Amino acid sequence: MESSLHQVWESASGNPFEPTIGKGSQFLVGFTLLTAGLLLSGLFGLNRSLINIPLIGVPASLVIAFGAVYMICAVGVYV
Amino acid sequence: MRLLATVAAVLSLGSTALCAEKSNSTKPLTSRQILPANFKPPQTFKNVNLVHIINLEKSYPKESINVVIENTASTAQDEYFIPFTSSQMETIGGFEVKDRKDPDSGLFEVEAVEFDTESDTQFYRIRLPTPLAPKAQQTLGISFSYLSALEPLPKHVGQQESQYLVYTFSAYCPSTYVTLKQKTEVKFPSTNVPEYTIVPATAGESESPQKAGSKFTYGSFGELPAGAVEPVKVRYEFTKPVIHVSRLERDIEVSHWGGNIAFEDRFTLHNHAANLSKQFNRVEWASQQYYNPPSTAIKELKFPLRVGSTEPYFTDVIGNVSTSRFRSNKREANLEIKPRYPIFGGWNYPFRVGWNADLKKFLRKLKTGNGYVLNVPFLEGPKQPEGVSYEHIELRVILPEGAENVQYSTTVPLVSVEHSLHRTFMDTTGRTTLTLTAINIVDDFRDRELIVTYDYPLLAGFRKPLVIFTAVVGVFCAAWAIGGLDIGIHGKKK
Repeated sequence: MESSLHQVWESASGNPFEPTIGKGSQFLVGFTLLTAGLLLSGLFGLNRSLINIPLIGVPASLVIAFGAVYMICAVGVYV
Repeated sequence: MRLLATVAAVLSLGSTALCAEKSNSTKPLTSRQILPANFKPPQTFKNVNLVHIINLEKSYPKESINVVIENTASTAQDEYFIPFTSSQMETIGGFEVKDRKDPDSGLFEVEAVEFDTESDTQFYRIRLPTPLAPKAQQTLGISFSYLSALEPLPKHVGQQESQYLVYTFSAYCPSTYVTLKQKTEVKFPSTNVPEYTIVPATAGESESPQKAGSKFTYGSFGELPAGAVEPVKVRYEFTKPVIHVSRLERDIEVSHWGGNIAFEDRFTLHNHAANLSKQFNRVEWASQQYYNPPSTAIKELKFPLRVGSTEPYFTDVIGNVSTSRFRSNKREANLEIKPRYPIFGGWNYPFRVGWNADLKKFLRKLKTGNGYVLNVPFLEGPKQPEGVSYEHIELRVILPEGAENVQYSTTVPLVSVEHSLHRTFMDTTGRTTLTLTAINIVDDFRDRELIVTYDYPLLAGFRKPLVIFTAVVGVFCAAWAIGGLDIGIHGKKK
């Protein structure tokens, strides 16, 4: 007694979903990225020039963005 | 003043009329085919041999009909009809038909058909996968259950007294076709059956039932015309709870970023056993618990979860309930919960349980494109020896935001399917949600799989960090722009 998509499930048997960052290391990754983001933001605060937005602001935003996603997952809100 | 009163009266009348219309519109959820009113099932089959098995070992009657059918028409036929009364139609569930000789061939297509809403007789139509040639025979295995069909008698019992249930059925299996030979077997939970209908002996047939331990057999009976009925009532001991879930809302939430799948089941649970004849006596209850006597109260519910389930919780309207145990190791993950109070007949207990699991055991990536396939159990309710019946199940599969092209398949009979969006933490457009509704399901359907396939484009996956990134870049730009403003209190520079 099988449902019609059962074959699709069986055919993908060698391909289980693997998250980029496992559950065990989400907090470490999130914390590290957020700390780096905080430090970069502080660095930007020392010299708020237009050139520093792409040089420091954009990398800081990137690490904060990914850090926030992993930190939210690490505390149990699986987004 | 009088004018005001008149207006208020008219308004209230209007609202009553509206409400009445609304209450009339809440008919039970079913999907059925409407046939013309002059429809009568054609006499194209006969039942050569029929065995009707009624299993009363659980808290709901589970019936199975094994029948050898023969095509008596001159052309090949593929539609076989089974009659039910309209009250049976409202509580029947899990109607499944398969070929007894070839169980691997899958389930047959079945549909509830209605030809006259005023008529007491309704039909299920079974469509045979291949039309049956004239004079050919096929063996059908038909199984179904009735919910809320057992009545306690007496309706009120003492806290430690035995409970007896009454079930009424027909010794002749209801059929729209001539039946040449048939018998009805009734399996009771124990040999204690104080009352039962005796079908007197007729020419060539001995008196029914024949008793063999806890099994009673009515018949066998000779040739009977279509629609023959012989009402039989049995009253038997069943000192166990009659667990009924009037509504189960089950959420399954998939998170690709977290590598997690979250389950939450919200139960509205009732015990349909006999009510207490006196007020609940806690001292009597506590003093008897050491001996663990049979009782109509629900003391404990056991959820065998998939291995690898973690972080379970059990809450009710008050909050966390601490009387639960979770045994998890490499071989099992059992969640055993004890409600705040023993749930006696007529008592209710709404509660929720939830748990997490690693997504990799439930989700696989398809080899081509951005496709994923998810395999989850449709129902993971408590596994009780006395059985659990579910009147209404609403299952929501909450996929990641941006998932598209959602398809599903399950062997559980559904009444409605809906695609929608569910908005929760950090969502911009909302998560793709598949809502499946099933009614009149029993716990035999536990662990039936639900398979969902969906596409999840890479860009949709990066939506969440992208939103945060945009916001933070905005903050940096604002800091730069606002920081550059001259807000000092001094004259213009020359």
